[in-house]
Amino acid sequence: MSDQNKSVQDKLGELTELVNWFQSSSFKLEDALTKFKEAEKLAENIEQDLTKLKNDIQVVKKRFDTEG
Amino acid sequence: MENVLLSVSDFVALVNQTLEYAYPTVSVQGEVSEYKLIQGKWVSFKLKDEQSVVNCFLGVHQMRMPIEDGMKVIVVAAAKLNPKGYFNLNVRAIKPVGEGSIKKGFELLKAKLEKEGLFAEDRKRALPTVPTHVGVITSTESAAYADFVKIINERWGGLRVDVAHTQVQGDPAPDQIIRAIRYFNSLEELPEVLIIIRGGGSAEDLSTFNDEPLARAIAESRIPTLVGVGHEVDHTLADMVADVRAATPTNAAQILVPDRREIIRSLKQQVTSVGSTVIQAIDQYKLQTSEHLSTIFRRIEEKVDDTFDRLESLKLVVAQLNPENILKRGYALVRGEQKIGSKLEIETLKNIIKAEVTDVRSK
Repeated sequence: MSDQNKSVQDKLGELTELVNWFQSSSFKLEDALTKFKEAEKLAENIEQDLTKLKNDIQVVKKRFDTEG
Repeated sequence: MENVLLSVSDFVALVNQTLEYAYPTVSVQGEVSEYKLIQGKWVSFKLKDEQSVVNCFLGVHQMRMPIEDGMKVIVVAAAKLNPKGYFNLNVRAIKPVGEGSIKKGFELLKAKLEKEGLFAEDRKRALPTVPTHVGVITSTESAAYADFVKIINERWGGLRVDVAHTQVQGDPAPDQIIRAIRYFNSLEELPEVLIIIRGGGSAEDLSTFNDEPLARAIAESRIPTLVGVGHEVDHTLADMVADVRAATPTNAAQILVPDRREIIRSLKQQVTSVGSTVIQAIDQYKLQTSEHLSTIFRRIEEKVDDTFDRLESLKLVVAQLNPENILKRGYALVRGEQKIGSKLEIETLKNIIKAEVTDVRSK
């Protein structure tokens, strides 16, 4: 799935995973800078998504004042 | 008509025809007395005021709220003379009026639904943290709806919101809302949350949400429900049976979606915290490296010191072995063959003496 197609939720999940890596036993200083840059980029990306996303609000055509 | 002879049945039919033509429907207000439930299917009671009384009759399924003797109600009914000579009001709708009766009706229905477990905590379903598709039931002309939309748009994006426009007060409102609930529940692609909202109003306005069939429709919804009706102090049966109660329509929007500004703040905080973790790790590594280097230097220094100490000892030994030290003590060093006539060289501390061997004897 490309970054364009990922939902904000997916990206938030990825960021959480990245952040958890820094607290885990897998943490290695050699990889930390790359992972940090990745997290920073992802956070910026999510911020952009969150800022530009609009809600799609539609009033349904069906009428409810009568049965059927 | 006085010259027309009618049978009793014809007379009853004529009276009913006349009543139906003149008053197809009447709304009558009075106090309930002699309330009776017949075979669990029918309800009869008398509606009275200070001077008069009239019989009322209706099916149990037409009751939208329990009633009892002493309650003031309005009945919407058709007047009918039955073949046995009783004059009845065939009730189509009944609702309590006046603060006391509305409250009484509310308490009766609340007790009934509570007994059935409709308010039980273990029935409550959690709402998704971030829904992507929701259904809203409200009046799209209301200020409450405008507030709800404003807050949703401020807080979140990417949400699909399908809105069913219904009345939210007045007699037709409960059935319209029930139809909208059934509509959303019948969709192939169900919304993840069903939100029912209405702004503040009088007790009578909000009585729409204390309707028994509506409360049951909310409780039966396959889609988790979020109900925000009135102000914080208003409690309706609709919000008691809902999975989640919101204090107001604005609060419903706040419960429904997270605030993107808070998420952005939290993202920045997480990145900063990760940055601090990296810096701390680097500091830790630096400290460890520096400690290792110190240990190494200490070991080297110790080794060098040991070596110097050994050297000093050896120097002392070497010094003690220096022949000059022996010469200092008055001894001399003699070089040459130990035979008569040979030349000898005698070295003292300060002089070198040449001598000749004149005698050699064994000791």
